[in-house]
Amino acid sequence: MEETESIAARSAGQEELYRGAAAAFGASLGRLARAYEADAGARRDLLQEIHLALWRSFESFDARCSLRTWVYRVAHNAATSHVGRQRRRRAVMLESLEDLEAVPDRGEGRCAPDERQALDRLLALIQQLKPLDREVILSYLEGMDAASTAEITGISAGNVANKIHRIEQILARRFHEGERHG
Amino acid sequence: MDDMRGVWQKQSAEDSAVSLEEVRRQARRFRGTIFWRNVREFLVLALLTAWFGLYAWKSPFPVMRAGNALTVAGLLYAAYQLHKRASAAAAPADMARKTCLGFHRAQLERQRDALRGVWRWYLGPMVPGLAVIAVAAGMAGFERSWSAGLVVVLFAIAGAVLYFGLGRLNQGAARQLQRQIDLLDELEKETR
Repeated sequence: MEETESIAARSAGQEELYRGAAAAFGASLGRLARAYEADAGARRDLLQEIHLALWRSFESFDARCSLRTWVYRVAHNAATSHVGRQRRRRAVMLESLEDLEAVPDRGEGRCAPDERQALDRLLALIQQLKPLDREVILSYLEGMDAASTAEITGISAGNVANKIHRIEQILARRFHEGERHG
Repeated sequence: MDDMRGVWQKQSAEDSAVSLEEVRRQARRFRGTIFWRNVREFLVLALLTAWFGLYAWKSPFPVMRAGNALTVAGLLYAAYQLHKRASAAAAPADMARKTCLGFHRAQLERQRDALRGVWRWYLGPMVPGLAVIAVAAGMAGFERSWSAGLVVVLFAIAGAVLYFGLGRLNQGAARQLQRQIDLLDELEKETR
């Protein structure tokens, strides 16, 4: 009897945690899914995979890190596993920030893009990136500071700051040259 | 760069909603998948155990009975290991406790170790029983005629080649996983 009650209490706690996380981070998780998967159908599946992983992870939430760090780690890990499976199917090559910095802009930035175009190009750029760089750029775009990003990714805050500097340079080159030229 | 963050954060959230009922349904389906996978594994094991167990009990030859009994013991050990490894793989909170690189490294290491140790925990435990069965069948075959004995020996060799081939395939897959782990290690060094 006691065991049944304990399972029921754990299950209620799991649902409460999930509800809270979905309410606070649902929109961010939707953006994260867009950043990992370009195909709309597969993206819906990915989003459900992320939510399921989150639900399951709350079976044993231990509050050793913040709820936000927990949610983003689960989401990135679920999404990276998804991308790994897709890559094996589609044979996609991923790039690092350093590679992208070295590649000259192919001219897409010659005219000032509207927001929709800018977003599409941003998504295309993120989807090219290797997992760690993708985590950093998404945390940056979600407005997190270097310390929070470091906690999620497990790399040092100094290294995150260095990567953010590169991201800002790449974004400036790709999205603002057009405005200067245009 | 704040304008890029603005563009990013202003994205429509209309397709990012997942209902609680949908997540519950997915969780039920996931649990169902795991349940039926376990049932399937258990049924295969039960059938094989029944098959070898029957011969361990009914065979008129003591050596054949011993071989079948040893194979049953090997099957039970392999099934226990399979169950233990599957339970270790399904720790959902690992996704949150480990960073992306750490999580994937742990996944790859777990798969690599399972493949590397396949002789110790999966293929190996059945070898003594199968070898005794092959010897007993060969002895029985040669008692009847040379040709019958030879057929048993050829079957045993073909079986052994297939069995060892399977082991080698697993070792090759483990080496491939090790290369992926090495790549992750390089990536980790670069980023720290």
